[in-house]
Amino acid sequence: MSLRRRQVLAGSAATATALAAAGSFPAPAIAQSDPIKIGYLPALTGPSSSTGVGINRGTQLAVEEINKAGGIKGRKLELISRDTQSDPTKAVNAVAELTQRAKASIIWGPLNSGEALAATPLIARDKVPMLHPCWVDELIDVKKYPMAFRMAPTNTQVGKGANHYVVNVLKLKKVAVISDTTGYGTASVNTYVPMLKAMGAEVVYSNHVDAANPDLKPELLRMQNAGAQTIMPWSVNAGFLSRILNTRGAMNWDVPVVGQTTLGSGQTKALLDKPENWNKVYSNNFRNCCYVGGKLPERAAAFVERLKKEKIEFSDTLLWWVALGWDGAQMIADTFKAAGTKAEDVVAHMNKVKSWPGIYGTVTWTPQEHNGFPDQEVVMCEVNSLRDGAFNLAPGYSS
Amino acid sequence: MFQSIVSYGLAVGAVYALIGITYNVMYSASRVFSFTAGMLGMLGGVLGALFIHKWGMNAVLGFVLVLGCGALMGLVTEILTVRPVLKSIEQHLYVLSTLAFALMIQQVTAIEWGTEAQPFPVLIPIETGTVSAWLDQKFLLPLLACAVTIAGLEYLYRRTLIGRAFLAIAEDSYAARALGLPETRLRLASYAIAGIIGTLAGFTGAQMLLAYFGNQAILSFYGFVPVALGGMGSNRGAVIGGLALGLFQQAANFLVGGIFAAVAVFAVFIVVLLIRPEGLAGAATARRV
Repeated sequence: MSLRRRQVLAGSAATATALAAAGSFPAPAIAQSDPIKIGYLPALTGPSSSTGVGINRGTQLAVEEINKAGGIKGRKLELISRDTQSDPTKAVNAVAELTQRAKASIIWGPLNSGEALAATPLIARDKVPMLHPCWVDELIDVKKYPMAFRMAPTNTQVGKGANHYVVNVLKLKKVAVISDTTGYGTASVNTYVPMLKAMGAEVVYSNHVDAANPDLKPELLRMQNAGAQTIMPWSVNAGFLSRILNTRGAMNWDVPVVGQTTLGSGQTKALLDKPENWNKVYSNNFRNCCYVGGKLPERAAAFVERLKKEKIEFSDTLLWWVALGWDGAQMIADTFKAAGTKAEDVVAHMNKVKSWPGIYGTVTWTPQEHNGFPDQEVVMCEVNSLRDGAFNLAPGYSS
Repeated sequence: MFQSIVSYGLAVGAVYALIGITYNVMYSASRVFSFTAGMLGMLGGVLGALFIHKWGMNAVLGFVLVLGCGALMGLVTEILTVRPVLKSIEQHLYVLSTLAFALMIQQVTAIEWGTEAQPFPVLIPIETGTVSAWLDQKFLLPLLACAVTIAGLEYLYRRTLIGRAFLAIAEDSYAARALGLPETRLRLASYAIAGIIGTLAGFTGAQMLLAYFGNQAILSFYGFVPVALGGMGSNRGAVIGGLALGLFQQAANFLVGGIFAAVAVFAVFIVVLLIRPEGLAGAATARRV
């Protein structure tokens, strides 16, 4: 029987179809050793870059450690890093590049809320899983952004942590709440004041003040006259915060100041008239990265040892930033290890993460809740106790 | 409370008055309302902190250097943003050119210096708390600077030939040129003087206002209010307007507080301008028809 060219072609096509239908086409071996791409959007330069620089050190270390240990089932992790320069426009451009051209399997970042607000809808549109550490509540919405997950607390949780400290730990009932006139400041006061009232506190003073106002004595006198037992400032403006602390010092008014993390920043410290003005000031922090009785919790202590061994500088940044960076990359690696790199599998796995033991936080997600940070790990710390990038847990907490 | 209103109010008012005078000095020499006055004030604080606090320079040397930089900025402003648009002054292109220049400098400051407020050194090394709060240097220095500036300008304009030449070009630049006065050089000198006064305001006020790039917008605006209140070109009016603004603002801080203090200031400003559009000290100009 003579075999004609057409018959051969028809036969092989049929075979190919049959094989493909049975799903037994083996994937080419080369694809298995391709690196897994992580699209990474830190702000390494620009006005909001101090957080990004800290987080970046942790992320780089984790990826290095994972790759050194053989990667994910033989595949290396590849961070495709695009500096957003603290600019939402740059973040948006980088998203298009990472999701569409580079085909990243997941996006880690943006690391600042301003950029995340601009980037999240686009990442959701391109159907790429996303993990970020930003605080703005609206960034997580399982209906709008079903593939976005948060590794950090929300602004509401941060306020709740401070309110809990004032009302339940310090047992103070008369509270003064003050903010600058920025969007962040006003939104914080408007959210936190009703929360305080619901907890049984009496808000004797609440106001928004222009951060450029050089003299805050009138405001502090008003608080004092209203009988305030504590001041809760919500602002990221070091000038504004230092004026509150300096005025409190000049008035010899000994009430605790409880609020935003910037209270404990080096910029705020540099603007103090005298070092004592930093006493009795408590800022937001995270239980796993605070000293209790002079010691860090076990996981953080081991992490600090590793950082020291790898000669990674962290005394000029904050331990929780570096830890958060490490947690982000490690969470991504654990997910790929368990579920592979397909977007749906990644999301399905993350939806079931329960009490994942990070260095920065213990993360739990469900299909209905993509905010993973537990309330009880948002604590306050003593700002004047900074040592090796970490602070003492504020007094009064039962450990 | 009274002490705080008076000392803070007068000190901040003196800074506003000096910025107002900066506007006036530039305006008199060129009929250009240059929006660089707030920028000069901001630079006075930032450069002072840079030279003295960061680089550890002697306070006197740092002070002189800051004023030198101010004069230089004044000259650059005149050459880059005023001279090219003088020919078509009725089109008000200077609004764009001076504002653009001021914003550029502000952006460069934000990038190089940072967007956080930074400390300004205590200039006269005395222990805080050893003198009464009335005599704190952060209140006294702006007032002193304001007094010296106004006395110096009065002397210059009324007692010296060169000062009269300034007045001549301010009054009628064509006639002054026809008489052989070097109009361009006098204008340059005016801008240099304005640069010195602007940075002096920022430098002496920086212990209150801190070394902060964002002070530019505040000083540009609050420095303009005394000019509008006191009448364009009137330095005495600017001083009275500035001090009144400072006192009123601080009183409003105590009485109403928060963002309402700013609203109160604007409300009074608008009411004054409605009643006396030419300013409190300005004479109504007759228009020839």
